[in-house]
Amino acid sequence: MSNNKLTTDHHDDAPHITSYVEHFGTWISLILLTFMTVFISVFGADLNTLTVATALFIASVKALVVAYYFMHLKYDPKLYKIMMLVVMALFMVFLIMLTIDYLTR
Amino acid sequence: MEHSFVLPNSGHTYDAKASKLGMWLFLYTELLLFGGLFIVYMVYRSLNPDAFLMASLNLNVWMGTVNTVVLLTSSMTVAMSITAIQLGNSKLSLKLLLITVFAAVVFLVIKYFEWGAKIEHGLWPGMEHFGSLSHGEQLYFYLYFFMTGLHGLHVIVGMIFIVVVMNKIKKGSINKDKNQLLENSGLYWHLVDLIWIYLFPLFYLIH
Repeated sequence: MSNNKLTTDHHDDAPHITSYVEHFGTWISLILLTFMTVFISVFGADLNTLTVATALFIASVKALVVAYYFMHLKYDPKLYKIMMLVVMALFMVFLIMLTIDYLTR
Repeated sequence: MEHSFVLPNSGHTYDAKASKLGMWLFLYTELLLFGGLFIVYMVYRSLNPDAFLMASLNLNVWMGTVNTVVLLTSSMTVAMSITAIQLGNSKLSLKLLLITVFAAVVFLVIKYFEWGAKIEHGLWPGMEHFGSLSHGEQLYFYLYFFMTGLHGLHVIVGMIFIVVVMNKIKKGSINKDKNQLLENSGLYWHLVDLIWIYLFPLFYLIH
């Protein structure tokens, strides 16, 4: 790709169009993950603590899929991803600070 | 005046990139809003693991699953409606948005029946049966009603947002070349979906 974006002022931001098929594929994967998490929870109840971790892991995979494909982060400028990471880091700071607070009481 | 200086954006106020960035900034604050609530949930659940398990048995996993599927489907249709308008097919875009709004209504109706059943059983904070629950179970229901309630409010706002966008598509002010507002409403709708993705396992799938 060339670097002279300034000369192509009208064409540089032609939007990326996600195809219908790709959206449908995203939907299929989300539905499969949903049934997987329900299945593990309802029929794998004896796994106990493991189910909390797996449920959260599957939820996070689903959230990533939604953000990446439906919310278009995959094709957007990096800025949005970086800011998402900043928000996540901020969340982790809150979480760690609170955990330390509770553990040291 | 011989030379008039023309600003890049003069004559119209449409700036897709700024609009999108603004929407994302708002969504980041939304994530932190719900993030804070999830931290509260985490603390109380780790302090009352058994009570949370007991209380969660009052929820109907299948209603929650159906609602998850409904929201995921509506997320797909709103994403497809953006594809449609980018390809210049406003009619298809409108149809897909109509399905999205319909899914939102279905979600809220199911939510209404879920809440209705809880209230019938006296589980709403302040009711008689609620008062007889253990402290941990009460905390669960406070969080359940607050978090799903706040989420439901977001569903209603997202629905109104999409209806406004539909009107603009009908009028033609949102079209193939100018569709950032549609994309923003889509982003908002996906966020609603994103939050539900976490609410569902945390409230329904405790075992």
